[in-house]
Amino acid sequence: MKLFFQNKKNLILLIIVSILFIVNLINIIFFTPMIADQHWAQKIFYVHVPSAWVGFLGYFIVMISGFMLLIKNDIKWDDTALAAAEIGTFFMALVLITGPIWAKPIWGTTWIWEPRLTTTLILFLYYMGYFMFRSFGGNIERIRRQAAVLGIIAFINVPIIFLSVQFWDPEIQSHPQVEMANQPPEILYSFLFSLLVFTLMFILMLKYKAYLINLKNLLNENV
Amino acid sequence: MLFSLIKKELMMEFRSKQIILSMLFFGLAIILIFALSSNVSRVILTNYAPGMFWLMNLFIIVLGVHRSFAYEKDFDAFSILISNPIDRGLIFIAKWVSGFLFISVTQFVIFVPFFKLLLLEFPENTLLFLSTTLFINIAIMAVANLISGIVLRSKFSEILLPLLLFPLLSPIAIAATKISNSVISLQPFAMWNEWFLIIASIIVIFGLAGYALFDYVVEE
Repeated sequence: MKLFFQNKKNLILLIIVSILFIVNLINIIFFTPMIADQHWAQKIFYVHVPSAWVGFLGYFIVMISGFMLLIKNDIKWDDTALAAAEIGTFFMALVLITGPIWAKPIWGTTWIWEPRLTTTLILFLYYMGYFMFRSFGGNIERIRRQAAVLGIIAFINVPIIFLSVQFWDPEIQSHPQVEMANQPPEILYSFLFSLLVFTLMFILMLKYKAYLINLKNLLNENV
Repeated sequence: MLFSLIKKELMMEFRSKQIILSMLFFGLAIILIFALSSNVSRVILTNYAPGMFWLMNLFIIVLGVHRSFAYEKDFDAFSILISNPIDRGLIFIAKWVSGFLFISVTQFVIFVPFFKLLLLEFPENTLLFLSTTLFINIAIMAVANLISGIVLRSKFSEILLPLLLFPLLSPIAIAATKISNSVISLQPFAMWNEWFLIIASIIVIFGLAGYALFDYVVEE
């Protein structure tokens, strides 16, 4: 079996993502303009929002893979679901760390029950349970099917969680990311570039993680 | 077939009384702790009452739902049940209906000690309070039975159930508290209809998801 980065396509993707990531970082630190009332805190949004985007993308892939596993009964969909869940949760953790770092100087407090942050926290906690469920073991075929169902119901619950938190306290100020489209081009383009870099990084990580899970499954089968 | 499955659930509970009694006494124990740990003015306690009521309910529901599925582990009864040529979605509906009945009976009994022991006034429109509670129970049991069916045969199912269930129940917890609070403070329906719709949408979504996916959940 070929190693992951011995495959030319994967190696090229790794090189492209690495270069773009460094360029993105330099651009965020040195070239994006400062917003008068936010200063350095604003720059965290070039990491925070793309992390949230790929986190939710990861959970969306878990749902799609769950449906595919139930329909096709092909184990590769479970590998994809598990890889997407792990990477999605990593980025959700990043959202939960960067959110309060931004919120402290802007809102004056590290945590507000803002709908997006709350939805992120709820999903993060749910996926901790998801990983425990998978790791506690049992009949592997059954665990795969049940994990697929867990992934599906987690994602279909997202709009309900979001709406309920929004109705819960409408006074809470919404995230400034909503206003991103109205920002000057130098902020908007940097933001979109960061979004692209994070998405490419997510694709690479997903492929690599799915490869590792597949390798682990092969090992387990041969032991 | 559905009625036979519901009858089986009710008969099991009627004979053992394990679920309702355990939920009832656990609920009373929670009320005791609430009463002893919240030595605050009645105004503050009244404001927190709907939240405490639903917090107590969520705890006793976890206990009840886990017990309801743990029955099936004995003598591997669940494997025998699913080996029958029946629509497995009906097993979900039977568990849903019976679970709803068990929790509703428990809540109706525990409703009085909750308000009396916490020295709170009964809601003026008690009938509306209890009717909305019943409606919310339908949503909670739809989610709880689906998750309980998933974790039933896992190791440490008693740990996994609340871990997976509580995050999923968070929108219901918010909506339930808001609805009960609105009913207690005599607000018109127009003030809390969005919460009603959230509960209704959860019933539809998780009812359909449970019926459609339960087959995959319980398959060996």
